[in-house]
Amino acid sequence: MLRFFFIRLGRAALTVALVVTFAFIVLRLSGDPALIIMSVDAPPEAIAAFRKAWGLDDPIWLQYLRYFSAIGQGELGQSMRDGRPAIQLVAERIPATLALTLPALALKLGIGIPAGIYAALHRDSLTDRIVMITAVAGFTIPSFVLGLVLVLIFSVQLGWLPSGGQESWRHAILPVLTLGIGGAAVLARFTRSAMLEVLGQSYIRTASAKGVPWAQVVRGHALPNAAIPTVTIVGFMVGSLIAGAVVVESVFSWPGVGRLLVVAVSNRDLAVVQCILLLVAVTMVSANLIVDLLYGVLDPRLRSGAKAGGH
Amino acid sequence: MTGLTRRHTLALGAASAAGLILPRFAIAQSDNRPSITIAVQKIANSNTLETLREQSNVGTRTFYSYAEALIDTDWGGDLSLRPGLATSWRRIDDRTLELKLRQGVKFHNGDVMTAEDVAFSFGVDRMWGGSAQTGQSGLFGSVTGGAVGKQPPAEVVAVAKRAFPSFETIEIVDPQTIRFVNKTPDVTLEGRLSRNIGIIVSRRAFAETASWLDWARKPIGTGPYKIAEFKPDQSLTLVAHDEYWGGRPPLKSIRFVEVPETSSRINGLRSGEYDFACDIPPDQIGEIEKDPRAEVLGGLIGNHRQTVFDKTHPQLADPLVRRAMTHAIDRQTIVDALWGGRTRVPKGLQWEFYGDMFVADWDVPAFDMNEAKRLVKQSGYKGDTIPYRLLNNYYTNQVATAQVLVESWREIGLNVQIESKENFPQVLAKGPTRAVRDWSNSASFNDPVSSITSSHGPTGQQWQVGEWTNAEMGKLSDVLESSTDRTQRKAAFRRMLEICEREDPAYTVLHQTANFTAKRKDIQWKAAQSFVMDFSARNWGGIRS
Repeated sequence: MLRFFFIRLGRAALTVALVVTFAFIVLRLSGDPALIIMSVDAPPEAIAAFRKAWGLDDPIWLQYLRYFSAIGQGELGQSMRDGRPAIQLVAERIPATLALTLPALALKLGIGIPAGIYAALHRDSLTDRIVMITAVAGFTIPSFVLGLVLVLIFSVQLGWLPSGGQESWRHAILPVLTLGIGGAAVLARFTRSAMLEVLGQSYIRTASAKGVPWAQVVRGHALPNAAIPTVTIVGFMVGSLIAGAVVVESVFSWPGVGRLLVVAVSNRDLAVVQCILLLVAVTMVSANLIVDLLYGVLDPRLRSGAKAGGH
Repeated sequence: MTGLTRRHTLALGAASAAGLILPRFAIAQSDNRPSITIAVQKIANSNTLETLREQSNVGTRTFYSYAEALIDTDWGGDLSLRPGLATSWRRIDDRTLELKLRQGVKFHNGDVMTAEDVAFSFGVDRMWGGSAQTGQSGLFGSVTGGAVGKQPPAEVVAVAKRAFPSFETIEIVDPQTIRFVNKTPDVTLEGRLSRNIGIIVSRRAFAETASWLDWARKPIGTGPYKIAEFKPDQSLTLVAHDEYWGGRPPLKSIRFVEVPETSSRINGLRSGEYDFACDIPPDQIGEIEKDPRAEVLGGLIGNHRQTVFDKTHPQLADPLVRRAMTHAIDRQTIVDALWGGRTRVPKGLQWEFYGDMFVADWDVPAFDMNEAKRLVKQSGYKGDTIPYRLLNNYYTNQVATAQVLVESWREIGLNVQIESKENFPQVLAKGPTRAVRDWSNSASFNDPVSSITSSHGPTGQQWQVGEWTNAEMGKLSDVLESSTDRTQRKAAFRRMLEICEREDPAYTVLHQTANFTAKRKDIQWKAAQSFVMDFSARNWGGIRS
């Protein structure tokens, strides 16, 4: 189990390093931050002064070495637009993003999993059809379209909820719904198909034939075995908590990490983009690592396989 | 013993509590001025409110409420210069402008504006003190927004030098009079002083601020509203500066909120959350005005859209090809079809508010396909690709306009191919595919030096990035910048237009830019011929009941 853990930890660290390196190179090759931040009409002397002040006229390899050496010392750089440490800027935005993504995750889990289970247990019924049609609709409608439709209904027509901003809890309702509906749809579909696959297995038939009550068959045999693909998706959703609301934050003018990322990328605010990507990579990789470990808990075969590999 | 009884103590306590509460209650009761919320795409590109750093269209929108220059511009009228924090001014000689300061002007911190504050605003600490920060330690060093302590960032100094290239000193003649002295003769000093770079700020407030960045987030000026809270990338809240020299401001507060999506700004206006929604594309105007409670204001501003040429590209080296391109553009159709006729085709790269310097009998190249085809034929063009680097609607209607242009050029036999780019550095990068691109040009003050010279002369971007140079244009730029002979200057400007727009085209003007703002119809307010939004008493007519 320990080897299993360390191999995955090593892979995770490599993934994070690759993400950060890729971002570093692409950002520098796709536009001069000095021209973008200072504006194209800025005097050439101002642009030159900016480049020099931020070390942008150094060779890219030197900037890269400086960057990784700084990361090693826990220094993630300073925002070129804001002047403050990038990590501080990002940290300020995380609560706002979590204020959307955590309730949305609860909504996804609270609606998606029960709906998927119910649909699977009532396969081909009217309820199953309705759940699946709704899920497909929720899955296929882009979040920015769904967000705007919700705004048109609940803000413009009915006047019940604000259309954007972050002033009160009421401002969070529509973005949480927008995020939650799409995610719940995804989870419902995955849960249903996982459950259907498990329900078709011979051990389910055997348990039923032995007279085990159906509810107990579902609880004791079907649900744990159907959990693995669902946990994978949930792991991905947890990994997206930090930067999974980019579009929704823009539509609802919600000042979270997603909006900061959009602004930072378009301004080539290098330290901020790299800081967010580092954070996202770490979150995503950690979530995947936890999912990997959960596989071992949920499926003893994986665990014993890992143990066997350790000898 | 003082003889203070428990009854006295209670009475005093009650009186003190009432003293704390009642005045506020009374003020709250009497202040029935409205507050408004304005949805904008962006509040500040640089995340600062110091005009020396925030040189952008979006910054222009907000600064006019919290800061003022010595010489103001009549944004709602004919864009002429008018008294601002200076009540009058006169020329002492070609290099010196004497200004009489308005008396009784109070800064947002309560201080009375003095000649020392004016001198400070153009002084080393705010504008010129940046030499120390060259050679900083780089992106992951100790640089704080390019600024060290209260030293302004190097780019601020560069912007100041560009705005006042020959600045020598500010002389305090007496408490009411200052002299702005230039090293060289300059007939544009008044115009330069009217720019937002020339705002007057409080010397004491700057001295008391911990860092340049803190200052730049909350500069203390004299405008009708003071900065209450600035949340970068989110919101800017201004509150009435009741000691404003121009009288009590008509609004209790103004809140600019950043709403990046156009549809979200429009929806917020329709739902009543926003009173104004800025940056409205022309194709949305009809839809917004279907709502009887909303209207769209605005129109022409001091900015022209251009197509710019790189004459070093092999296919564009011959001016005949560029000239052909300028004749193949049906500008009026672009204005009518893409802008709903809400803008116009101007008389080249100039504006009427240039006054005497406006060349009234000048026009953009005529739309003449036969002439364009003749020029292409004469040039011997063989059909090689002419790349057109294009951004995705950085300018309003940019992509649609580009498609019109490419089809027009195809009709005269030119093979122009669009290459999509993400940002301006990609557009400007030198290389074999740099040939045609889009740009816009603003006149920041009432003289062609502010537009044609600053963009297409030797210090301009086109020249600096190596797209276009012209020896005669270089000499004429010197004349325009340094001559005090108005006849000579006007002749030079006319010749510059001939060179840049006809003989050896550096660019061609497509149309004037228009800026649209949607608002509640019951609000009586006029849009300016600029991105500037004026919420002073002179431009606020109240809310119709």
